[in-house]
Amino acid sequence: MATVAASPTYAGAESGEHTGLWSWLTTVDHKRIGVLYLYTSLFFFLFGGLEAVLIRAQLAGPNKHLVSAETFNQLFTMHGTTMIFLAVMPLSASFFNFLIPLQIGARDVAFPRLNAFSYWVYLFGGLFITLPIFFAAAPDGGWFGYAPLTTRQFSQGVNIDFWVLGLQILGISSLAAAFNFITTIINLRAPGMNLMRMPMFTWMSFVVQFLLVLAFPVITIALFFLQFDRFFGTNFYEIGAGGDPLLWQHLFWIFGHPEVYILILPAFGLVSEVLPTNSKKPLFGYPVMVYSGILIGFLGFGVWAHHMFSVGMGPIADTVFGLTTLLIAIPTGVKIFNWIFTMWGGSIRFTTAMKFAIGLVALFTIGGISGVSHASPPADLQQTDTYYIVAHFHYVLFGGSIMGIFAGIYHYFPKMFGRMMNEKLGSWHFWLNFIAMNLTFFPMHFSGMLGMPRRIYTYDAGQGWETFNLISSIGAFMLVVATAIFVWNFFRSKSSGPLAPDNPWDAATLEWSIPSPPPEYNFAEIPLVESRYPLWDLTHPERTSEIPHTHEGWSDQEKAADAKPVHIERDRRSAKELGIPMPLPTIKPLFVALGIVVMLSGLIFIHKEDKSAAAALIALGAMMIIGFLYAWVTSPLEPDHH
Amino acid sequence: MHWKIRPRQLASVAILTGLALAIAACGSYGKGYPNSTFNNTTEFNTAIKSLWDTLLFWGTFVFILVEGILLYTVFRFRRRSDADEPQHVHGNTALEIGWTIAPAVILTFIAIPTVRTIFRTQARAVPNALQVEVVGHQWWWEFRYPQFTTRTPTGRVDTLVTANDLYLPIGRTVNFTLRTKDVIHSFWVPQLGGKRDLVSNHTNYLWFTPDTSLRTTVFNGSCNEYCGASHANMRFRTFVVTPTEFDGWVQHQLSPAAFAAAPPAPATPAPADTARAAGAPTRPASASPAPVPVTPAVAVAQQPTGYTFPMESLPDYASPDTPTPAGLSFPDNITGDAQRGAEQFARSACIGCHTIRGTVAASPIGPNLTHIATRSTIAAGIYPNDARHLRLWIKNARMMKPGVAMPTLGLGQRDPVTGATVSQSLGGLSDQQIADIVAYLQALR
Amino acid sequence: MSASPALDHIQAGPHGHHYTTTGLDSRKIAVWAFIGSECMLFASLISTYLIYKGRSVVGPFPHEACNPPVCATALKPILNIPVTSASTFVLLMSSLAMVLALAAVENRDLPKHSLGDRILGSSKLWLWMTCILGATFLGFQSYEFTSFVHEGLSIRTNLFGSSFFTLTGFHGAHVTAGVIWLGTLLAIDYKRGLGPDDAINVDIAALYWHFVDVVWIAIFTLVYLIK
Ligand code: HEA
Ligand code: HEA
Ligand code: CUA
Ligand SMILES: [Cu+2]
Repeated sequence: MATVAASPTYAGAESGEHTGLWSWLTTVDHKRIGVLYLYTSLFFFLFGGLEAVLIRAQLAGPNKHLVSAETFNQLFTMHGTTMIFLAVMPLSASFFNFLIPLQIGARDVAFPRLNAFSYWVYLFGGLFITLPIFFAAAPDGGWFGYAPLTTRQFSQGVNIDFWVLGLQILGISSLAAAFNFITTIINLRAPGMNLMRMPMFTWMSFVVQFLLVLAFPVITIALFFLQFDRFFGTNFYEIGAGGDPLLWQHLFWIFGHPEVYILILPAFGLVSEVLPTNSKKPLFGYPVMVYSGILIGFLGFGVWAHHMFSVGMGPIADTVFGLTTLLIAIPTGVKIFNWIFTMWGGSIRFTTAMKFAIGLVALFTIGGISGVSHASPPADLQQTDTYYIVAHFHYVLFGGSIMGIFAGIYHYFPKMFGRMMNEKLGSWHFWLNFIAMNLTFFPMHFSGMLGMPRRIYTYDAGQGWETFNLISSIGAFMLVVATAIFVWNFFRSKSSGPLAPDNPWDAATLEWSIPSPPPEYNFAEIPLVESRYPLWDLTHPERTSEIPHTHEGWSDQEKAADAKPVHIERDRRSAKELGIPMPLPTIKPLFVALGIVVMLSGLIFIHKEDKSAAAALIALGAMMIIGFLYAWVTSPLEPDHH
Repeated sequence: MHWKIRPRQLASVAILTGLALAIAACGSYGKGYPNSTFNNTTEFNTAIKSLWDTLLFWGTFVFILVEGILLYTVFRFRRRSDADEPQHVHGNTALEIGWTIAPAVILTFIAIPTVRTIFRTQARAVPNALQVEVVGHQWWWEFRYPQFTTRTPTGRVDTLVTANDLYLPIGRTVNFTLRTKDVIHSFWVPQLGGKRDLVSNHTNYLWFTPDTSLRTTVFNGSCNEYCGASHANMRFRTFVVTPTEFDGWVQHQLSPAAFAAAPPAPATPAPADTARAAGAPTRPASASPAPVPVTPAVAVAQQPTGYTFPMESLPDYASPDTPTPAGLSFPDNITGDAQRGAEQFARSACIGCHTIRGTVAASPIGPNLTHIATRSTIAAGIYPNDARHLRLWIKNARMMKPGVAMPTLGLGQRDPVTGATVSQSLGGLSDQQIADIVAYLQALR
Repeated sequence: MSASPALDHIQAGPHGHHYTTTGLDSRKIAVWAFIGSECMLFASLISTYLIYKGRSVVGPFPHEACNPPVCATALKPILNIPVTSASTFVLLMSSLAMVLALAAVENRDLPKHSLGDRILGSSKLWLWMTCILGATFLGFQSYEFTSFVHEGLSIRTNLFGSSFFTLTGFHGAHVTAGVIWLGTLLAIDYKRGLGPDDAINVDIAALYWHFVDVVWIAIFTLVYLIK
């Protein structure tokens, strides 16, 4: 480690051209894009949290009128939309970007410029859908935007326009990223890294990419219908023309339920990295963990109508969807038990990451159990659209996704930024967060089953809900404190935490064999992989002795790939010195992304008397897209080395 | 700075909190929760509750099992020394099969009663059920009783229609037909059973039988599908009454409106207590905080008799406490005249939306007002039905309830939606005119 | 000049572009993933069309005539199956041309002995053919759209109009994108000739083109043929 002289400024920043704002705007390095995703999504997480805190302030007592009905409706719509599309999904994307190439032994993702494009689309789309809240014109149709409330007839303002177009923009980002990661994982694995050796995080991410690819087109179409109805007068959801509101509900939830697994599986993956590392044991039942992940993803497409038990689908459909939903508890339970038995008999070290990971196991289980209670359709008729549901999904989303992501952040911070986070502050963060989370969301089970509907901006006194709501609100304010500790710890550690060694946690996977932070090219020599836990093979062979290894079983092609057996990477030379071609930085993806947002912004003005603004924006956007796309495809990815 | 407590010690706080919440949980089954879903008030709710008990049992079982093993593991296998090197098990097929099958078995125990209950509760209602049509509107409830009709003098057949107050007889199955005039709403009386959505271009059904063990009482109901600005303000009351009381109520609601037959001539105001003497149900004086002098109903020939739930015994949870908006007030010293109010009503914007059976007012857009004075609340359960609130409502409904379709009518009032000030030419009403109309409405027993 | 193709990509392996896990080009895998998502896109559109079939409250209708008093004016069935069969045939032929174009690019360097070999080996010819046939299909489609509008069916008329125009319009947009894509390949062909090294570029365009074609078969069957 003595060679790490320089302070760990971000990845491969030796030469001047790699620092400064411009380098961030033009970067195509998956690690830096991962960091961009991380900052942006943490910002949106705080923003969505702030909205939640306002919601809780309003509901702290009966008949409170801190904000108006209209504002409240914008707040919960934007809270849900922000947390799901702008916080948790991109937080996961941050780890996809940063980790997948490192875990599979690749130099970058398959399409680096497309990757930059995904990020910029996400950023601009996020701003597009968020900014209207400062003009009291934010979307107000709920995060699942049920028609016909969201049609022009019942929502005349631009609020819903921003929501429809914003989600379309974000969909482009997710889809482009998903194609990219599917290709990366299928095609860029280092020699010997066969599927059953992939780290669990990469596996779960792989499943998620398929869910994205198959689920997003469905909401794209649902949104197109709504967009056409609103802008061009089609009839998809027009009541007068015979339009069917259930069409929207089916399309939305065919997307929406896989979406919730899109939100949880990356967290499951992160936890599956943290638990074995900190128990000094390999993951218990790796193959079953893989299969259960695939099964969850697969079953996830067959349960959507459990969000619609109260719409009157009839007994047959209720039965079918109730039963398929119950089934999902089985593979999920397998995961829970396998995690626990990974720790069983281990030597558990309570790093902050480990605490969050254990927190996920404990809290997600609660959310899962309440989920099973909604899966029984008659019982759900007393639960649906009450705070009991709100309790369920915050246990799985906050107790699951967010806890898992925090585990990931504490675990991978040293690798991302080259410095350690403060464990003491981390511990405060964890315990406060854990307690406050339960304080906020557990009482919602009661307020819900005691009759409190969700999405109400006010409620009357004497309904038996006051105490529970007050406790929830106190919990929410404690969460602000907990989150503030995290934010402080994050930035302080980033600037002045102790320098991180290559492998601070004694972990087993490839990303820990290279310096922290990794050089721009990741691996000076592409590793030749022979087991699931290559670094433990080197340092603790007894831990992995029972797991299948390849010693000479590589294919000719793999052997010919010019890779070196896994080793701790000591080379600190630059890409140029090593003769590794790196993709050129480029601003073009950013402008194409901007062009898309400019073009769609034009649509917002289309209902104004004077249509020239609309025409001008659409034309400008289209020109940006065409021009920069042309420049993009005709410019080489790497410097010409012919 | 030295922290004396370590963050981990917060764990005891966590456990205490958990305990407190668990105790509160047990309380949920007890009294004091007027909208509790855990009741045996109808066969529907009894079925749901027994399903819930199964779910709660297995849920608690899994919870204790998983969290128990987890806690044990975490304590038992914590690292004591960095040199610890555990045994390296990487899987165990028998165990893994075990924890695949065990949940499957539990889920079967859940699935069987679930499927049974689905088919039982979604069967057809008995043919002789009481039929009630529920029509959702942004943001109020219309209840129609198609089995109860009356013939007007002109020969038209009118159905019993009311708004935001639902009356149900104990012991008779009621079959709801659920429709909406606009967006999706959801009909729910938590004390009586599960909810069902009112979906545009669809008709839904829901039935249950208020159990014979019930006594005359009132339950709250609400809209449970987000339906726009005033989704939170779309509430209603369900009065569960004895069959005799129900018949009385039907008879009362079907009787013609007060004033309907009275000639629009300047009648001599009757003494204040004529109406009460006639035996009509009375409004509690306590419902209006500041007793407002109100000219009571003119003694009209067909003063209705029959049953209305006695509003003075309306429990606290059913009497709304919604604060009135700051900046909206009505002078106390104005006395309204019902007769003048009736004439004013017939000349005003009111008739563009409301129906009062037997008068020129015959529009189906807003709630039917024929017997509005018998209702427990106004504005879909958010304000008490008293003179003060009625007057404020007519003066500026849009300040009283976000997004409401009813226009702001008080002269000089600012319409919060359009921003325009209400003038004479726009049909604005003076405070005196509003007081008159309110006196009229209060006479519509 | 090394005109980098639309999908730029990195490959593993330290020194250049040799090793990939599957041995396949990354662009090909990405296009397969893309086609997977396109399947869901069209599945949603087609399902919507089928769900809304027969639920329009006013005419015109796809297969049924509608006479007064049900309809204000008499309406005849609006789908024109003979014409659409012709356009379907055209699109099918374009797939054939696409196959030949790809083969021509892959085999550019094989010796050509006869006129037949030279015709079969002309990538420009077959790319042109594919483009022209695709454009002809689009021509048919715009003819169909305009005649529908003349007969009183627009995207705003009823549920049938909305779901029909949106479905076929999305498909038409895909064909248009394909024609433009093939156009860029033609441009490269004229500029520097397409050879076996570029086969992957033509290959992925062909994959897309065939997919769009297959989708049309599904639409033609489900929308036009089945009553
Ligand atoms: C991360 C996101 C996430 C996850 C993972 C889940 C997981 C599950 N969800 Fe949840 N759900 C949401 C997010 C999520 N949900 C959201 C956001 C909503 C609301 C949307 C809205 O309306 O706004 C929702 C709503 C929702 C509904 C609709 C409720 C309604 O509106 O009426 C239902 C109904 O069935 C449901 C069920 C389930 C089930 C059965 C699971 C299962 O996957 C859970 C499985 C896990 C376990 C069961 C625990 C571990 C298992 C064991 C320890 C084995 C033994 C267990 C048993 C035998 C029980 N969810
Ligand atoms: C991942 C998803 C996610 C997450 C993490 C959260 C987090 C929280 N949510 Fe939730 N929520 C949803 C997803 C999520 N939510 C969804 C999908 C809905 C449904 C929306 C709909 O109905 O359409 C919903 C709805 C919802 C409701 C119901 C609203 C209603 O029906 O009317 C409530 C009410 O209490 C609530 C509360 C909270 C709280 C208190 C948190 C807390 O965990 C938040 C904690 C707060 C913070 C973490 C940020 C604090 C920080 C600051 C304030 C700034 C400090 C600044 C610095 C330090 C620089 N949420
Ligand atoms: Cu009506 Cu909510
Ligand atoms: Cu779901």
